Amino acid sequence: MTVALDKSLFIPVILGTPRQGRMSEHVAKFVLAQVETLPGVETELFDVRTLSFPTTDAGEQIKHPAFSDAMMRADALVIVAPEYNHGYPGILKHVLDTNLKEYVHKAVGLVGVSAGPWGGTRVVQNLLPVMRELGLVTIFWDGNFPNVQRAFDPATGALVEPAYVRRLEKFLRELVWMAKVLRYGREKVPLE
Amino acid sequence: MPTREKSRCPSCGAEMNFHAEKLDVSRALTEPDAVDSELGGVVEEFHTCPVCKFVLERGAAR
Repeated sequence: MTVALDKSLFIPVILGTPRQGRMSEHVAKFVLAQVETLPGVETELFDVRTLSFPTTDAGEQIKHPAFSDAMMRADALVIVAPEYNHGYPGILKHVLDTNLKEYVHKAVGLVGVSAGPWGGTRVVQNLLPVMRELGLVTIFWDGNFPNVQRAFDPATGALVEPAYVRRLEKFLRELVWMAKVLRYGREKVPLE
Repeated sequence: MPTREKSRCPSCGAEMNFHAEKLDVSRALTEPDAVDSELGGVVEEFHTCPVCKFVLERGAAR
């Protein structure tokens, strides 16, 4: 059997908070720039602040055409989520819940962000069961950005802690591997 | 296993791959007649087009 790896992968990055002053924006832009360096990978940033989903209903009733099209085209996702009171931002869940079939058997990598020392480990843990229910397949590398206010220059958003480059490289290698395997599975391996 | 007929992609016409099923228990509230009583929900199938990536979701044949 041949694996159709000639087609490029599409790995969008979702910035999961709309709050003013969000440091997660620096993280998401850094992650996006790293994904852009990967050969054979296309990406795009989706910011929950600008997606404009109504809050008078939920789920697939409020699909956003551009977001759903991107999720259908995606081979994997990277979700950048700050930890708010040990949980994920409600708006992120609201946005993710608008799709289902678009996610099934696709890879997801989670990036947690916090001002404290734990680097969003609890938001990552709390997102795992949500990912599973949406049909997404998690990887065993996470992105963790503790003390995020020290990792980026607050004025310019430039990374000041270079170790994150290598950490994210490892994370993305695993994500790309999983994305390729799952794409092969979605396209070629029937459920018997 | 019996061979089942492959779905055609509604977007480009290519043959799709059926790769997943999911039990939707929430539909027991809105479509009780569609519920598989042994499984407790409605089984949805997911088919992916290898050419254009379109994903088709449809109720499983019972």
